[in-house]
This record gives sequence, C-alpha cells and structure tokens, in this order.
Amino acid sequence: MTHLLDDKRDATPMKISTRELNGTTIVDVTGEIDMSTSPGFRTALLESLKKTPRLAVNLTNVRYVDSSGIASLVEVLKAARISDKRLVLFGLNEPVQEVLQLTRLTKIFEIRKTEKEALEV
Amino acid sequence: MSCEKQSPPELPGCQEANGPLDFQLRILSDPRLLAVVRCTVAEFAAVSGFKEDQCRSITLAVDEALSNIIRHAYNNRRDQEIEMRLHADIGCLEFTFVDRGEPLDRSKYCAQPLDAVALGGRGTHLIRQIMDEVVYERVSEGNRLRLKKYLPPARLTP
Repeated sequence: MTHLLDDKRDATPMKISTRELNGTTIVDVTGEIDMSTSPGFRTALLESLKKTPRLAVNLTNVRYVDSSGIASLVEVLKAARISDKRLVLFGLNEPVQEVLQLTRLTKIFEIRKTEKEALEV
Repeated sequence: MSCEKQSPPELPGCQEANGPLDFQLRILSDPRLLAVVRCTVAEFAAVSGFKEDQCRSITLAVDEALSNIIRHAYNNRRDQEIEMRLHADIGCLEFTFVDRGEPLDRSKYCAQPLDAVALGGRGTHLIRQIMDEVVYERVSEGNRLRLKKYLPPARLTP
C-alpha cells in the first residue's frame, strides 16, 4: 500500500481523462477526491455520461475519496438510472473500498475488478 | 514515510520518547489545505501506534470534520481560521477543532439514513462510525469539536 507521501505525484491533486472502447466511455481518474476536487470529478462524469450509453470509471489510481466524492458517484448513478444508461466502477483499491463499505453503498453500484470485466456486457 | 509503523519511535537517551504527543495547527478554511492536513494526520496516527487501515479511517474522519467546518460553519468561505490540536496519549488519540463560524444545525446532523441514495450528509455518519467519541460544544469563541479514537487493547502492550 502506497502512503500519501511516498508516491511521486505532480502538483495537481486530481486528473481525469476519457477514452472510448467498444462503445463504452472509460473515465480514468488519478489522485485524491475530496471537497476541493469533487466538483470537477462530478462535472466530468456527468458530462461524459451525456455522450455515452455506458460509462466505466477507472478508480485504480485514486488514492483517497471522501464523502463528497461518494456523493458525486451517487449523483452520476442516479443520472444513469434516469436516462437508462449503465455506470460501472472498476479498479477500486483498498482506501476506496473502505469508504464505500463505511457508507454502505457497495451494493448500489455495479463494481468490477478489472477493465476487461467492466467492459463485458 | 509509511503508515505501517507499529509503535512510537524509540529515541535513545530521550526519556519522554513514549510520553504524550501534542501538535497544533492553525489553518485557513481553504479546501486545498485538506490534502496537507491528511498527510499530517496519517503520520500522527501512525506514530501513535495505529495500524495502516486505522490510520486511513482516522484521516478520513478528520478530513470530514474539517470539510464540515468549511462547508457549514464558514459557508465555504476560504479565508477563515480553524484551530486544530492533535494529542496522543497512552492508548488514545484526540483531535480538537475550534472555529468561529455558524453553530451546528442539529436538525441536519445525521438526519438521513446512511444507506439512503441521498447526495449528501454522509460525512457526520462517517465520523461517528470511525471515532469512539464525538463531542460538539458551542463555546464562547465559536464551535469546538472533539474526536477521540482509542487504540485497540492488543496494541497497548509495551
């Protein structure tokens, strides 16, 4: 487990990029999702969701998420359900899993271990 | 540095090496500072003998407490002051936060079930789940929040 101070991170606390694969939009998130970065996280996911029927969020490189980040994911899930689209999360590391468990939300999200599994219909 | 430290560091010739630890911070209510505080808290918890997963959860609780102060007490103003004290004694870690903002709205505190698919309101639930004692007081200078976490008994053995 990498400690917050051990990894070589750049000055940006969170980075988001998107790519398309087999009709799914994959959002790659890197860094820490907290009160200062969750508005950008939320906006990026909601904008991506508008343009795709299937959204997969890669959380492999997310070192930290707080309740505002979890609230953003819940909001995107609600938007996906309303528009009959699919939202899947994958690559959850220990810190992210712990927060989802503490918030008792592991069952409401579709969670997969790998990108390959996330892309399976 | 790692959060995997199992016990306070031994300092040769320093009789107080295993005594209480005290650390104080005075920060602005700027959310960009939360990442800085998280690093400090994680290290403080590790030095105090908590395991890695406990360090993570304690850090989350402190982060949520500060976020609540910024969001609710200071209405997202970034230029207000928050005093924070970190205190470690045998088997116990205590965090005290003092702000000069709006008082806690008790009608909104843990007002909704944690598992509801609501957008917000999980921060206070997380704090209560993680910490052993949560005490909020309205004091003359503003709001004071104290969070305590006890070291599991198995880790108290010298």
